[in-house]
Amino acid sequence: MYRYLLHRILQIAITMFLLIAMVFILFRVMPGDPASMVLDPKMPPEAKALMKKQLGLDEPIYSQFIIYMKNLLHGDLGRSFYYGRPVYDVIMERLPNTILLFTSATIISWGLGYALGKRIAWRRGTRFEHALTFMGLLFYSVFLPWFGLIMIWIFSYRLGLFPLGGMITPELWTAGGAGIIALVLDVLHHLALPLFVLTLLSFAGAMLLMRSSMLETLREDYILTARAKGLSEKVVRDKHAARNALLPMVTALALSLSFSMSGGVLTETVFSWPGLGKEIVSATLNYDYPLAQAAFIFLAAIVLMANLVADIIYAYLDPRIRY
Amino acid sequence: MGIIEYARTSIKENWSLFRRSRMGLLGLAILAFFAFLALLAPIPRLIDDMYHPMVGVDPEISYSTPPSLRHPMGTDFMGRDLLSQFLSGAQIAFAVGITAAVISVLIGTAIGLTSGYYGGKVDALLMRLADIVLVLPGLPFIIVIAAALGKMSIWIIVLLIALLGWPGVARVIRAQTLSLRERPFVEAARVAGAGDRRILLHHLAPNVLPLTFLYAALGVSGAILTEASLSFIGLGDPSVVSWGMMLQWAFTTGHTFRAPYWILPPGLAISLLSLSFYLVGRALEEIINPRLREP
Repeated sequence: MYRYLLHRILQIAITMFLLIAMVFILFRVMPGDPASMVLDPKMPPEAKALMKKQLGLDEPIYSQFIIYMKNLLHGDLGRSFYYGRPVYDVIMERLPNTILLFTSATIISWGLGYALGKRIAWRRGTRFEHALTFMGLLFYSVFLPWFGLIMIWIFSYRLGLFPLGGMITPELWTAGGAGIIALVLDVLHHLALPLFVLTLLSFAGAMLLMRSSMLETLREDYILTARAKGLSEKVVRDKHAARNALLPMVTALALSLSFSMSGGVLTETVFSWPGLGKEIVSATLNYDYPLAQAAFIFLAAIVLMANLVADIIYAYLDPRIRY
Repeated sequence: MGIIEYARTSIKENWSLFRRSRMGLLGLAILAFFAFLALLAPIPRLIDDMYHPMVGVDPEISYSTPPSLRHPMGTDFMGRDLLSQFLSGAQIAFAVGITAAVISVLIGTAIGLTSGYYGGKVDALLMRLADIVLVLPGLPFIIVIAAALGKMSIWIIVLLIALLGWPGVARVIRAQTLSLRERPFVEAARVAGAGDRRILLHHLAPNVLPLTFLYAALGVSGAILTEASLSFIGLGDPSVVSWGMMLQWAFTTGHTFRAPYWILPPGLAISLLSLSFYLVGRALEEIINPRLREP
């Protein structure tokens, strides 16, 4: 099992390296002066020349790449044109917010998807199954940012139950005097609606995956055996069928993580959730190249890390894994 | 047997199976409805110049108005007709969705066949590549490319969606090819003197064709949603009137909570059209894989 995990970690590290290299090349082969991609256009020419030298932009491309990697490993990601601050600081502020939204949505939707997916597969052909499957397909293909807007319209704008967007109520945090519980509740209040929207999207996928995986498992002979032994329906469903159906589901879900991350970017944008997803969009719209690059690298890193976690879960669930 | 004849008999044989799936029929009905709308798209601008979805402005209106006789779905912030924009959106959705799906399925099938048939190093290399593209977060990747390019055209968007979509197809086609290449008919072809190229194109490719169709149908949904998302966040092609772009205009001009006649139709259309392709795809899946059918 450890060899399997080691193998996966190595694979993920290589993938990460290739992604970084790809982004590096992308921003340097673009038409025009490569310096314009890293240097703030508003800078005076002398400062530009100096910066160019410091960044190694007058050197050949491979040594530029080495410098780039070195800086990256030191946490030096350049300066954001828009914020006028080091990109690293901006990223570190946004990263926890994205992780909070993304992981909670992923965990809730996997859990719910597992629980409902096994039930609808078990009751195949009933109205309950048809209704939930159709609902799942509906949420799976709904246009997420639009759906988010409708939710804001109904629950925040009309009913006033939730804030219109953002992550905190600034007055509450700057005034002081608010207890830690009040602050946590404030964040949860802001989190509720975006979490609901993102969960709904990835939950639908998880439920449909679990359904088809469970349907495959139910055809196995050992299910027939378990039934013939006179085990109760619940034991057959939960202990014999669902546990074995879980394995292919974890594999498929790990692959859907990059899809959920795309959903996360849209959710953050619509709900003005101050995460990396919202930042990559606004950085791109503001021509803030260093920030856009870094936000992408970190979003990809989150997906890769989540993949690694899925691998660990898989190795734990399936003791047959040997590499 | 020619490919057209083959297609005709295969449609005839499978239609009775497809008809049994109520969800598949529903999907087909929605799809036909939007295809009809897409065909109507060029008509409004023939009636009057002001009905041009992009440059036509009603001379008497300079702000967004609710539906009226003159403008059955209302007008946008500068007096452009929303119905003609909506019809144009249908056209764009089909064009983008189908083109992107066809390209990515072609790439995926070619890579899957090659990988499965040749095996060895070629297979290992291609599949590692597929693994990398598979974990790439699609939308952020397209956004970062938009950042590097500065501006996007609709065909670059289509190409990027296609380049991100092939690994899933390639994996499935590869698995299928692995099992197919061991079958006796491949052996027979080889004994009869067929080369690799002939075996791949004439003996293996036709056998993975049904799977290819399935993935094309599923791919259309994803492509439509991705293009709409990009347009919605302001990174679409500004010279194309798509449903996502209509929403973006409503959003940036502050009409989000004020103009339901403007906000609701495009979002609903994107969702329904992508749903319809999923439903059709699933019905096709049940035909191809009998194990999925209800007993």
